[in-house]
Amino acid sequence: MEFRILKYSFYLLLIGLLLSCTKEVQIDIPGYKEQLVVDGRIETGQRAIVLLSTSNNVYSSTNYESYLNSFVDDALVLLSDGTQTDTLTKICTDDLPQGLEDVAAAIFGIPAEILVNLHLCAYVSMNMVGEVGKTYTLQISHQGKQYSASSKIQQSVPLDSVYWKPEGNFTDRGFSWAILSDPASTADAYLWEVKYLQDLQFSKTFNPYTNDKFFNGLTFEFGYENPMSFQDPNADEAYRGYYKLGDTIVVKSSKLGLKEYNYFEKKYNQMYSGSSPFAVPTNIPTNLQGGALGIWVAYSPWFDTIVCN
Amino acid sequence: MKLFLSLIFLSICGLSLGQKKATVSGYITDARSGEALGTARVFVKELKTGTVVNNYGFYSLTLPLGTYQFEFRCDGFLTVDKAIVLQANQTVNLELEMAVQDTKEVRVTGKKSENVNSAKLGQMELKMDQVKTLPAFMGEVDVVKTLQLLPGVSSVSEGGQGFYVRGGGPDQNLVLLDEGVVYNAAHLFGFFSVFNADAINSVNLIKGGMPANYGGRLSSVLEVNMNEGNLKKFKVKGGIGAISSRLTVEGPLKKDRGSFIVSARRTYIDLIMKAAIPDTSPFAGSGYFFYDLNAKLNYKLTDKDRIYLSAYYGKDIFSFKDNEGGFKVEMPWGNGIAALRWNHLFNSKLFLNTTLSYSDYKFQFISSQDEFRVALSSGIRDYTAKVDFSYFPNPQHRIKWGAAYIFHDFTPTSLSAQDDTITFNTGAAQHLYSHETALYALDEFDLNDKLRINAGLRYSTFTHVGPFDRYIKGDGISTPDSVVHYNPNDVIAFYHGLEPRLSFRYLLPDNSSIKAGYAYNYQYVHLVTLSAVSLPTDIWFPTTDQAKPERGFQSSIGYFKNFAQDRYEASVEIYYKGMKNLIEFKEGALPGDNVNDNTDNLLVYGDGWAYGAEFFLKKTEGAFTGWIGYTWAKTERRFPDINEGNIYPAKYDRRHDLTLVGTYKINDTWTFGASFIYATGNTLTLPASWYVQDQNLLFQYGPRNSTRMAPYHRLDLSATRYGKQYKTKTDPATGKDIQIKKAYRSNWSFSVYNVYNRLNPFFLYVDNDGDFMTGNFSLSVKQVSLFPIIPSVTWNFEF
Repeated sequence: MEFRILKYSFYLLLIGLLLSCTKEVQIDIPGYKEQLVVDGRIETGQRAIVLLSTSNNVYSSTNYESYLNSFVDDALVLLSDGTQTDTLTKICTDDLPQGLEDVAAAIFGIPAEILVNLHLCAYVSMNMVGEVGKTYTLQISHQGKQYSASSKIQQSVPLDSVYWKPEGNFTDRGFSWAILSDPASTADAYLWEVKYLQDLQFSKTFNPYTNDKFFNGLTFEFGYENPMSFQDPNADEAYRGYYKLGDTIVVKSSKLGLKEYNYFEKKYNQMYSGSSPFAVPTNIPTNLQGGALGIWVAYSPWFDTIVCN
Repeated sequence: MKLFLSLIFLSICGLSLGQKKATVSGYITDARSGEALGTARVFVKELKTGTVVNNYGFYSLTLPLGTYQFEFRCDGFLTVDKAIVLQANQTVNLELEMAVQDTKEVRVTGKKSENVNSAKLGQMELKMDQVKTLPAFMGEVDVVKTLQLLPGVSSVSEGGQGFYVRGGGPDQNLVLLDEGVVYNAAHLFGFFSVFNADAINSVNLIKGGMPANYGGRLSSVLEVNMNEGNLKKFKVKGGIGAISSRLTVEGPLKKDRGSFIVSARRTYIDLIMKAAIPDTSPFAGSGYFFYDLNAKLNYKLTDKDRIYLSAYYGKDIFSFKDNEGGFKVEMPWGNGIAALRWNHLFNSKLFLNTTLSYSDYKFQFISSQDEFRVALSSGIRDYTAKVDFSYFPNPQHRIKWGAAYIFHDFTPTSLSAQDDTITFNTGAAQHLYSHETALYALDEFDLNDKLRINAGLRYSTFTHVGPFDRYIKGDGISTPDSVVHYNPNDVIAFYHGLEPRLSFRYLLPDNSSIKAGYAYNYQYVHLVTLSAVSLPTDIWFPTTDQAKPERGFQSSIGYFKNFAQDRYEASVEIYYKGMKNLIEFKEGALPGDNVNDNTDNLLVYGDGWAYGAEFFLKKTEGAFTGWIGYTWAKTERRFPDINEGNIYPAKYDRRHDLTLVGTYKINDTWTFGASFIYATGNTLTLPASWYVQDQNLLFQYGPRNSTRMAPYHRLDLSATRYGKQYKTKTDPATGKDIQIKKAYRSNWSFSVYNVYNRLNPFFLYVDNDGDFMTGNFSLSVKQVSLFPIIPSVTWNFEF
């Protein structure tokens, strides 16, 4: 939201002011140790998907091969909802079931035609889908080490209304808007995602996570930009960030737990503040036990559709 | 302790009862302006004893009846020898003439042997005349930058706010401007200090062996005294520089009775930016400037009563506008200080100074985009009252006692946000109120010819009072958040403690001495920072029920020696400093986290220690003056909640620090200056590894402050060209030609900053470029440097 953008603007301004002379240097950075990275999620009515990889030395090779080689495919991953346990199935891109190419491409961020020639694996719960109110515990065994994390699917919060309106001097371009009545009795955190009606996967906005620290119990209006326009290389620069008159979009507002929100808040803070001297160097606080990085998160989404007219 | 106190008592009484005595006392002033000479000394040749005047130029010596040859000295002034027949108490006020060109028949002695004789340990005094001839960054003479050339004092970097003394943080320095507390001594993110050199009379830094009359900070006291204003005639001085200009006007309110001084300074970076950014640019209206104003009045009500009213107001204003994007930022911050002092002389032995002061520091950040507006402010406001008595029973004892009270009003963070008609719930502006008090007594006394002791005790208290809301965080699910409300004057937390201070000097043969000291301090106010460098966004925060007072001690010992008839001063000091209850933000804390919460819920607490050795050699007289300073030091921290509880170096941990400073007066027209600094690189925390989550590149940082930047070194040069400063006149009394200072004088000051264009590291960051998918992704460590070689010129005038 704009509020978040402004929060970071102070740092960006100062950096811009002070970046007077920059050169590359070689300097000793101690403290590297390889760690397992977990990127796992489950949401209401959906299977759990877990990607595993390892961290890399900051001075290690950063070519395409090293990135691909960092993925892990030799782990045992279990998912428990408190009553039953599912051993997650390893599904690899060089052996994808028919029709899952585009889904896999979206998950890995690699074009489908390239992906099918690679061996990248995801762990999927084939026997369990997310249910509201349940706490899901992930357990991972990898190279003799054990890792675990839990996350609960909470009751989703419906949006009062969603709509589109032109922005500024435009008549045919504008942001998506919504009105939300935030429950006063709980501390809530949300993820905002969006897609065109015909798209397969949702996209995240510039800073898609927020909590109700500033609007607990309030009914308020908020707007988000169009993240898909930044991914389209053919989009007109002047119109980036806007939906155009006639677009039909699906919005997905998901509720998540506060610990998980804490991870994403710090993650986006790190991404946008970079290594600036005006930000405290902060490691992103994982909810995983056992020394892994990353997050295991459960979402409860609320869907709505906006026709931009 | 009992034996020690008895010894002091007996030595006071014994000396008082043994012989008939009388007191000679008075003020020592500058003959040209009538201003007090706060660094003068009085020496009685027959008794080989003497005293130092206090900040107001007052001295008092009680001696057996008799005839004595007195010597009145002050650095840069002609020494006056005066025979005094002491049969009864008498007042001797003296005006000292400034040393001039014809020095064949006079001596310019200054504070000879002070380096060796004084019981002061770890104290440094800056001479403003010398400061003004040293190289100045962008032509702006800066006392804080000069302080950073002394051993044991450092800056974090070119852009760091404040200064760091013997491993302590910037908040551990008590900065006083005419006894008013300065909470932010920096302009332009630390590139300039708030002290306008034209308005400053003296600068004294106490970095170890803090006497009991000072307190409230762990590391040092920086005492800056403003000029009082000329009591005899009106004068104007000023300067026009590359980025700023200044003007000072001073003169008598009533000749020899009262005077005023007003000094103003303003930068014109904003005007330069305005010229550079056309009105059609989307960034039109963006800019930065600072200004400050010093003013002081003093008036001699009677021979025994004098009042001083000092004021400072300074502000930095940064603005950024993106008119196309509808985005706007205003960021003003600044200090306001006022101090009213009353000096009263009860009798020739007892001097009182009473101070009422007000100090205010405020930072604001106001940003808007379209109809969305967010404003953040923080600050601190102090109301202080204190009394300080000085009692001079005999030449062997200089006794002080006093009391102080401060009412603090802290605003750690006040945030508001609005979007058209929606007002976001950012909580009420948090004010934290507290009372700080102190009582102290000290005696500096000579136990014998060789041993001088300064023993003191300070007792301080701190009370955090309501109104106050204590937020108790629930887990967001089963345990809701709750608030405990305290009414006005409810006591929320109370702390107190004794702070013993002891230092001694023992004279050795060959003009040398050994000094040692111990000081225990409490600090009740803290500066917490969310950044890796100090910024005006740093938050002053008081001691509360959660945040305990910082406590610390410093032990130091040194060897001091003067050479070549006191033309050279040398010293070696070693110190160890221990600190408890230091404060940092939790790892990952964000600026908005204290909304609807207490700032201290976001803090973590730990310990620190620092030790080092300082070597100093100074040439004080002659055409060439200057010093060499070298410091070897180490400072570390241990916080259970930071760096996995492991010890880590402080961000301003520097192993080696070497400074060379010199000025050379070639003739009456040209004076050259140079300064060189070499320092071990600062520490910082950089990412040791990278990983990918949800297609985002993320970093995992290495241990806290485990990376060390390249060493910092820099050479600055200056040249000052003086117009004719003196004219020759025949003294009708002697018939000799004497030199008299001209009414109108001017000089050109040329400076070159960073002569060999060293790209010193300001900070490092890991830069990523390209994309995984296209195969051109790369990571590299980049170093950002601030200032290349910068020449500047300033024209100064005086009439």
